[in-house]
Amino acid sequence: MHTLYLEWQAIWKILVVGLILGGGLPALFALGIRAMAYGTGGDAEDHPAGVLPAPHPVGRALAYLIFALVLLAVALGILVIVASGFGKEVSFADVYPTLQDK
Amino acid sequence: MTTATVLLVLVVVVALAFDFTNGFHDTANAMATSIATGALTPRVAVVLCGVLNLVGAFLSVEVALTVTNAVVKIQTSDGLPRPELLTGGGSDLLLIVLAGLIGGITWNLLTWLLGLPSSSSHALFGGLIGATLAGLGTSGVNWNGDGSKIDGVIGKVVLPALMSPFIAGLVAALGTWLVYRITAGVAARFTEKGFRWGQIGSASLVSLAHGTNDAQKTMGVITLGLIASGHWTDTENIPFWVKASCAIAIAAGTSLGGWRIIRTLGKGLVEITPPQGLAAEGASGAVILISSHLGLPLSTTHVATGSILGSGVGRPGAVVRWPVAVRMVAAWLITLPAAGLVGALTWYVADLLGGGLLGALVITGFLVAVSTAMFLHSRKAPVHPGNVNAEWDGANPDDPALPAVQALQTEQHLPA
Repeated sequence: MHTLYLEWQAIWKILVVGLILGGGLPALFALGIRAMAYGTGGDAEDHPAGVLPAPHPVGRALAYLIFALVLLAVALGILVIVASGFGKEVSFADVYPTLQDK
Repeated sequence: MTTATVLLVLVVVVALAFDFTNGFHDTANAMATSIATGALTPRVAVVLCGVLNLVGAFLSVEVALTVTNAVVKIQTSDGLPRPELLTGGGSDLLLIVLAGLIGGITWNLLTWLLGLPSSSSHALFGGLIGATLAGLGTSGVNWNGDGSKIDGVIGKVVLPALMSPFIAGLVAALGTWLVYRITAGVAARFTEKGFRWGQIGSASLVSLAHGTNDAQKTMGVITLGLIASGHWTDTENIPFWVKASCAIAIAAGTSLGGWRIIRTLGKGLVEITPPQGLAAEGASGAVILISSHLGLPLSTTHVATGSILGSGVGRPGAVVRWPVAVRMVAAWLITLPAAGLVGALTWYVADLLGGGLLGALVITGFLVAVSTAMFLHSRKAPVHPGNVNAEWDGANPDDPALPAVQALQTEQHLPA
C-alpha cells in the first residue's frame, strides 16, 4: 500500500507539470503560428473570397516573441537532459534555473 | 582463455546486440509522427534520430552501474557484484546476465516482427528477472524494494507501465485540443508548414533524451560483467570503450530504423496531422523529462504511444484505431513475463549443460538461430522507407506493405 502512496505522490506531480508544460508549450507554439498568420495576412488566414486580410506587423512581432519563449523552454529541456547526464540536476528553487549536484 | 573470459566476451557481444535492437525498436518513439506527416523524409528522420542518440549516449557521463538493482539482487548498492555470485571467476553472475539479455533480445525481435512498440527496458528487465528467478530463486528478485522509496519490479516497472500511457495520453489530448482551438481560422497550408518545424524540434528532444537514458543501461550491464570477471574495479567510472561501443551500437540501430514499428505508430494507431504530431511529441518530451527529473523515469515507448493515442483523442473527428491500441497494451503486459520466460528457460538449458562454456555457447547459438529465423520471416513482407507511409487500410493491392498490414490485422493474439 505504501508503494501505491509513494507512486501516486510522484504520478500526480508528473501529470500536473506535464499538463502545464506538455500541453502548454504546444499551445504556446500554436499561438505563435496564429500571431504569425495574423501578421502575414493575405492567404495565411481563412477569409471570404476577394477580401484579402491586411498584414499586421504587430502580429509578426508577437509571433517572434512567442517563438523565442518556446525556444527558451526547449533550451531548458536540453539543459535538464545534459545536466542529468553529468550527475547534476536543474533546480527551480530560485525562480531562475540553477545547477546543483543530485 | 578461461571459461569466465569466454562468458564475458559473450556477454559483451550479446549486450551490444541488445543495445542495437534497443535502438531500432525505439526510433519510432521519436520519429514516427514526423515521418507520417512528411515533416522529415524517412531516411533523414532515422539518421537525425541516430545522431542525436549518439550525442545523448556520450552526454551520459554519470555511471549507471546499479541499473539491475531496480529489479534483481545480483549487485550490492554500490554496484559491485554480490560476492556469493563470484565463484568460478564470476561465471555464475555472467550466465544470469547472458540469459537475461537473450530473453530481452528475443522479445524485442518478436515484437518488432509484429510491428508492435514495446519497451526495451522492460524486455531487458523481464529477461534479467526470469534468469535470476531460475538461477537464484524468488529471493533473488527485488519485488518491491524495502518500502521506503519507489523501488523493485512493482514500483519501478509494473505500476509506471500501467500509468504512463494515461498520463501521456491526457497531456497530448489537452495539447492537441488547445492547438486546434487556437489555430482555428488560420489557413491549413500555413499551419502545416509551421507545425512541421515544431515537430522536428520536439522529436529531436525526445531522441536526445532517449540516447542519454537507454544507452546507459547497456553500459551498466557490460561494466557489471567486467567487474564480475575481474577486468575492472572502479565503480565510479566505466571504461571508455564500453561507453563508445554502446553509443555506437544504439545509434547504428536507431539509424537502421525499425520500419515495422514506425509504420504502426505513425500510420496504424492514428491518422496524424502536423499539429497533432507537434502536440504528441511535445507531450512525450515533457513527460519523459519531468518524470526522470522527479525520480520515476517512465518508459519512452509507453509515453510516446500514449501521446500519439492522446493526440487522436484530442482532435475532433480523428481516426483512432482502438484494436491496434489494445494489441499494443497486450504486448506491454506480456513483455515482462514473456522476456522472463525466455531468460529463465535459457538459464535452465545452460545450467543443464553444466552451467559453463558449453551451456553459454548453446544458448547464444539459440539466440543467433532465433534472430536469423525472425529476420528471414520479416523479409517475406518487408516494410522499408518506400512503403512505411502507405495507407494503413491497404486499398492498393500493389502496396508492398499490404502483406505486413494484413498480417498485423489478422494477428489477433500474440504468441508468448
